[in-house]
Amino acid sequence: MGDEKIDKTIMIELSNTFKDAVSDVDVPSPNRAVARIDPGKVKEIMQFLLDNGFDHLSCISGVDYPPDKIEVVYHVTSYSAPLVITLKASVPRDDPKIDSLCGIYWNANWYERETYELYGIKFTDCPYMKVLLLIDEMEGEWPLRKDYAGYPDLT
Amino acid sequence: MTHEATQITSPPKPSEILLHLGPQHPLQPGPFLLDLKIEGETIREAELKIGYIHKGMEKVFEDRTYLQILPLTDRICYLASNSNNDVYCRGVEELLGIEPTDRAMYLRVITNELCRLQSHLLGIGEFTTDVGFLTMFIYMVREREGVVSLLEAITGSRLNHNYARFGGVANDLPPGYKEMALKTLGELKKQVKSHDAMLSSDSIYLRRTKGVGVLTAKEAGELGVAGPPLRAAGVEYDLRRMEPYLVYDDLDFKVITQTDGDVFARVKVRLLEMLESIYIIEQCLDQMPSGPYKQDVTPYITRPKSGEVYPRIEDPRGEMGMYIISDGSDKPYRFRIRGPAFATAQALPPLLVGTYVADVAAIAASMDSCTSEVDR
Repeated sequence: MGDEKIDKTIMIELSNTFKDAVSDVDVPSPNRAVARIDPGKVKEIMQFLLDNGFDHLSCISGVDYPPDKIEVVYHVTSYSAPLVITLKASVPRDDPKIDSLCGIYWNANWYERETYELYGIKFTDCPYMKVLLLIDEMEGEWPLRKDYAGYPDLT
Repeated sequence: MTHEATQITSPPKPSEILLHLGPQHPLQPGPFLLDLKIEGETIREAELKIGYIHKGMEKVFEDRTYLQILPLTDRICYLASNSNNDVYCRGVEELLGIEPTDRAMYLRVITNELCRLQSHLLGIGEFTTDVGFLTMFIYMVREREGVVSLLEAITGSRLNHNYARFGGVANDLPPGYKEMALKTLGELKKQVKSHDAMLSSDSIYLRRTKGVGVLTAKEAGELGVAGPPLRAAGVEYDLRRMEPYLVYDDLDFKVITQTDGDVFARVKVRLLEMLESIYIIEQCLDQMPSGPYKQDVTPYITRPKSGEVYPRIEDPRGEMGMYIISDGSDKPYRFRIRGPAFATAQALPPLLVGTYVADVAAIAASMDSCTSEVDR
């Protein structure tokens, strides 16, 4: 962890360092910042944030926007500052794929597995990409997508 | 920490056996399966399998109006129901652009801290049962009875309180509440101190807990845990202080930390946090302004403007966040629950590798996980 102050200036640094990969930077409230990122650059951007003191991956979630895209949303924060950065990466809905963060943040593992089983987003290089909460038979159902019709009642 | 530690990678060798703990077991309430590959008494690999009570809450919430979701947030974890109500209401309030009244903020702090008290009491009680002190469990449940009665007097229910509302709370304190609360909390303070002294001096208890299941500050940070397990390792991470919400800014309290990061330290943090919670409630009862406990017009049918919020709260178990996306309709477009117990449960298998089978119960219970919230 660096000694530098962890505050909103990171967003300026982030957009300067990754000119093409970061867009729509917004600071809606004092402790929140939002940006849109290029899904191909997610590992480099997260490594940059980790090197700048953002050592706590709070959450990974998926959001479905039919018909053509799914968003992967990362909430990154720090153990020593209250700023939460929300990063959104859009991936195509018919073949959602994004790099895994397991090598950068250890706890990304379960969040990625959960997002995979609920949305079908494949996290490449995740060491153990299989269902976590659902039963094995439900792999391929993607229940949190908006057009999910329901699993047959087998009881 | 490597990812190999979180799953069983190969079938057991002739010198090893595979031990299934669960899904039904006495370690913690709620079913989960803990697979251990052991060689003699030592755990070589551990894998946690969850999802036995997966309720699909995030999907259910997308199909309910904002007010209908409110009682369901209780059910995420019944021991933290007030915190869950509160964090959800703060999220919706931010979307609506309203604020709770001053008195409501104090009332919410009081119920949140009472909630933390009863959660810690039950957590420690269950833990002490697992290390062989059934008597302490009975004591803790006796103490908890008083706290639950205090909650019942305000909210009308002993579990799943459903107390916070958008812009306020459901009702005011009953008459004579302050005296009743001060009496019960004064008793509780004495009892907690006495239990702390008992646990800190019992040689058998010390041998079961000291130096067992050590989680250093660096490891805890890498594993992404928060709450008492992180503070037991010496990291002063408490959202009440870090990102003050409600009226925590005006209140005086210490963030309890320990340095060892072992089972003993995690329980000690909870014991000392209870004393701080009592102190917070006493201050609230003194400082609380009079006035309305809710906004004049309580929005029952709410259509927040499009947007998204990520409010966080210091739950009894750690960092609770809710990511709510509104599309302008009366139902949320996406509702993500980031629970503290999920993060803590993920950190359990690497913590168990290299320890003895006899310590599994102590380590697992000291993390104070909640299966209902892990599975959601």
